[in-house]
Amino acid sequence: MLTVDFHKGSSGALDAFPNPTHHWTLPDGTLWLAFARTNESHWLRFPGLADFQVSLDGLRVVEFAWEGTDESTLEHLFLNQVLPLAQSLQGELVFHGSAVRLVGGAVAFLGHSGRGKSTLAASFASCGHDFLTDDGLQLTQRNGVYLVSPSHPSIRLWEDSRAALVHADAVLSAPVQYTSKSRVMSDNLLRACREPQRLHHVYLLGDGVADAVTIEPVTPREALIGLVNHSFMLDTSTAQVMARHFEALSQMAALPMFFRLDYPRRYDMLETVHEIIERHVTASLPPT
Amino acid sequence: MNPTDTAEIASQVMARSMGDETVLLDLASGTYYSLNPVGARFWQLAGTGQTLGQIRDAILAEYDVEDARLDADLAALVADLIQKKLLVVRSGNA
Repeated sequence: MLTVDFHKGSSGALDAFPNPTHHWTLPDGTLWLAFARTNESHWLRFPGLADFQVSLDGLRVVEFAWEGTDESTLEHLFLNQVLPLAQSLQGELVFHGSAVRLVGGAVAFLGHSGRGKSTLAASFASCGHDFLTDDGLQLTQRNGVYLVSPSHPSIRLWEDSRAALVHADAVLSAPVQYTSKSRVMSDNLLRACREPQRLHHVYLLGDGVADAVTIEPVTPREALIGLVNHSFMLDTSTAQVMARHFEALSQMAALPMFFRLDYPRRYDMLETVHEIIERHVTASLPPT
Repeated sequence: MNPTDTAEIASQVMARSMGDETVLLDLASGTYYSLNPVGARFWQLAGTGQTLGQIRDAILAEYDVEDARLDADLAALVADLIQKKLLVVRSGNA
């Protein structure tokens, strides 16, 4: 597992935040994250919440909290946003995706926000299939095999998913200021896998228009575009880094492990989704 | 599109063949593009130093497509690739 050396800097927004090179905005157009880069560091600004300085090698992060931002929010920002971006600088592959342990390995679910990544992870975990991550899917390639690294042992869920999928005694972390999602900590009934697992399949999540559970293979090009679209990547300004990333994604996309998954987004469908995915994975594995 | 012109792939572009399609990455802008099978074949031939006319004839021989339709599609593709700075065309009359 990759590590990042984390430090707290001075409080308050940085006066000398460099000119941003690009931004991420929320679906309603609100500025969510501004990116900047200098010769020494990458800089991240979450307006109204915090600034972060990330070393070019991704090994060191310094946090600058804006006034009024609480510790829970800062921890949340670091774990879910800054850490995956810092890890991408260390040459590893990091995606917007969740993963669970299934059939002796891992299956991953890639999708944009709202497509059901965390819900799937929680639903599998509540049925005894330990989860590896609910987002920030980190992969390490070793001799053609991809390993999924476990991340923070918690799952972020909207209230309706938490109520439907998680037992009533589950421990929640303190609320954060920028989302109403709960962060549910793992426990004996919602177990987290703590060891890297070999990746079996990657499912690209559809938009939920299907009226039944559907799994379809995707072409290598579609797999590559899916990986690109769901990549956490901080340094998009260095040609060498972009080329290395493109090469790594191209190699991965050529493997027959990518599928498109869609299903009606109803909680009473999830048990069927589990069964079909488990059968699908089992059928693709070589006989033992 | 002048058939005697020669197409060259811009130096900042990476391409990967994915099945019968191709995905391009413009390292200068960080933008990705994908080419359908005919576009991918054009891209493959554009890297060999052939003229646009030779590339057109090669594709015409390989695909079940009418001359006029192929000419129009290739002209549009070349113009698009040039506009996006993915392709450089050298004049055959130079």
